[in-house]
Amino acid sequence: MKRKSNKTSRGMTLTFRQNLIGYSFILPNLIGFLIFIFIPVIFSLILSFSRWDGFNPMEFAGLQNFIDIFHDEVFVGAIWKTAYFSFFTVILSMAASLGLALLLNQKIKARGFFRCALFFPYVASIVAVSVVFNAMLQPDYGPVNEFLKFIGVSNPPGWLASTTWVIPGLIIVNVWRNMGYFMIIYLAGLQNIDQSLYEAAEIDGAKGWALFSRITWPLLSPSTFFVVMMLVINSFKVFDLVYLMTQGGPGNASTMLSQYIYNKAFISWDYGKASAAAMILFIIVGLLTAFQFQAEKKLVNY
Amino acid sequence: MRKKTVKSIALGLTAVTLAATVLSGCGSSKDSAESGKNGGEEEVTLTFPVWDLATNGYLKNIVDGFQKEHPNIKINMVDTAGSEYMNKLTIMLNGGTDCDIVYVKDPDTTASYMKKGQLEDLTSYIEKDGIDTSKYISYDSFNLEGKQAALPFKTDYYVLFYNKDIFDDAGVQYPSNDMTWTEWEEMCSKLTSGEGANKIYGGFLHTWQACVQNWAIQDGKNTILGPDYTFMKPYYEMALRMQDAGTIMDYSTLKTGNIAYASVFQQGTVATVPMGTWLVQQMIAKKAAGETDVNWGIATIPHPDGVEAGSTVGSTTPMAINANSKYKEEAWEFIKYACGEKGSSYLISAGGFPSYQDDTTIGEICKADGMPEGAAEALQTTSIVLDRPININSAEVNQMLGEEHSLIMIKEKSIDDGLKEMGERAKEIENS
Repeated sequence: MKRKSNKTSRGMTLTFRQNLIGYSFILPNLIGFLIFIFIPVIFSLILSFSRWDGFNPMEFAGLQNFIDIFHDEVFVGAIWKTAYFSFFTVILSMAASLGLALLLNQKIKARGFFRCALFFPYVASIVAVSVVFNAMLQPDYGPVNEFLKFIGVSNPPGWLASTTWVIPGLIIVNVWRNMGYFMIIYLAGLQNIDQSLYEAAEIDGAKGWALFSRITWPLLSPSTFFVVMMLVINSFKVFDLVYLMTQGGPGNASTMLSQYIYNKAFISWDYGKASAAAMILFIIVGLLTAFQFQAEKKLVNY
Repeated sequence: MRKKTVKSIALGLTAVTLAATVLSGCGSSKDSAESGKNGGEEEVTLTFPVWDLATNGYLKNIVDGFQKEHPNIKINMVDTAGSEYMNKLTIMLNGGTDCDIVYVKDPDTTASYMKKGQLEDLTSYIEKDGIDTSKYISYDSFNLEGKQAALPFKTDYYVLFYNKDIFDDAGVQYPSNDMTWTEWEEMCSKLTSGEGANKIYGGFLHTWQACVQNWAIQDGKNTILGPDYTFMKPYYEMALRMQDAGTIMDYSTLKTGNIAYASVFQQGTVATVPMGTWLVQQMIAKKAAGETDVNWGIATIPHPDGVEAGSTVGSTTPMAINANSKYKEEAWEFIKYACGEKGSSYLISAGGFPSYQDDTTIGEICKADGMPEGAAEALQTTSIVLDRPININSAEVNQMLGEEHSLIMIKEKSIDDGLKEMGERAKEIENS
């Protein structure tokens, strides 16, 4: 009897009607997600298995696009370059932001000013950043190389004009851009640590490194997890910085996956291969993220 | 948040493409169907996508002139930024009926449009109206598999710009209209002087691969499609030799400093610059605006040994008709006008170089205010080779050549290795 009374005349359950209100609240976001993310995702998946020029009917190509891109040296190179770029970006950005957060968590003068100053690169326009760094890293008269010459480096690197140094150059710029934002995340993490733990440890005679390695680092592990994951994702999909600073050059020394996808889609007009490459990038990032979630269970302590 | 970020990575690009396809419908010729019943004749509106209208004012003059002669045809110009234009045009064409007149900024793309069946074959129109096709520069280049894909509108070609004051100071005679590249190289070393910030460079090769490779295809025997690129070797040797000797600016300095060819010439720090005739228009404008006081002149582009003087390399921008347009006859009327005598005269009065040329054209061009003395002789050509052949692979090959070019110029690769790599990659592109 009771159950029956829960049903309306149209046969909708009370729970469903209540849920409907909830759905209507997320609808605006959902529509945007469907049109601009979900449908293109599915479309891109279909494209990666087809041959299409954008105008005539699509032809089914099976795995040909994937076979082709894996035979393309530029693509295989792009995977390695992306991995190389990401690895160092993640490690160095993490180290830099943690270091800065530790420094700025202490009671020093003008702490607010330094925090703002370090956060600034993150909000600065990437176009401006790339123009300025292009000039800074100029091989002959750029300030960076002038400084290196001043301290006695006789043959400073060619940075963006050299195939060996272009990725390290980009890593430096990217780390500089990232560190302020992740510093803020670490600062928040540091401020959540209960001061009484430090006091207790100090009473027991713990100092410097022991405090850091036994208290700070383990208690920061949720922040570290978030920082590493965001950095991995951001650095794998890096596009704006590379496009603005080198356009993948010299040669294709800094052509990473997103740049490769862009070139295939908008220079060669080969949507099939571009989508296939995008799928590979998707799979790589997906696997890394899944792996990190597994690792989180074991490594994150709190 | 994490999930969304991951998804957007791989798919952002596709999202943009799709969104653009959906949204580009907004610019369509909706009012095409409107008819002016009062006049008796049906009024049609043609959509004409153009780029950077503010700097290409002659297009507006052509459209106005045309509309005066054809009161029943209205031309709706859709202006787009130059760097975005080709993407926009491709998407419009893919959408079907968004545009009627197809003005192809990167002419080699004509081949892929034609292959997709997006361009009307102009042969019957040209025959019907008895157009004298011999007056068009590179008319035949747009004949693809027996179909005339487009009509040439504008042809720019390479000439040698020089700074008269630097020649006078160095006591060197002005460049002649019959000079080989070897002579140019020697001339550049005589003109180079000074040190550091005050250094005057005798020559200048811009960072485009075209500024080395064009001289290799100038004889018309080879094209940038290769696939054997050994014919480019002498010109790469020349470029590197001049770079080492300091008679041209260093490639990596130009590239990393993002230095524009026009500004170095206008600042008077280089004596000679081989560059396209589009710089003529710009020099006249800058000089008139008082932004440069360089006393400039032009000479015919140097030529390889054993090739006739006046052989040069250029690029032709054509106009075509969308195969899916509802108003092909009207679109043809416009193209015929724009690419014909009248359209060309508007182009000429703005300092531009039309593809439609007769005996008087060069003379007319040289009448423009601010044109240097002797331009009429300097601008004479015996042949104009297209820098990029109208071929479906040109864009992709060109991208590849740009990559290898930079490696050779910064000496990360030897000339031989670079040219060999170009050959291998060109073959891959051809077979894909």
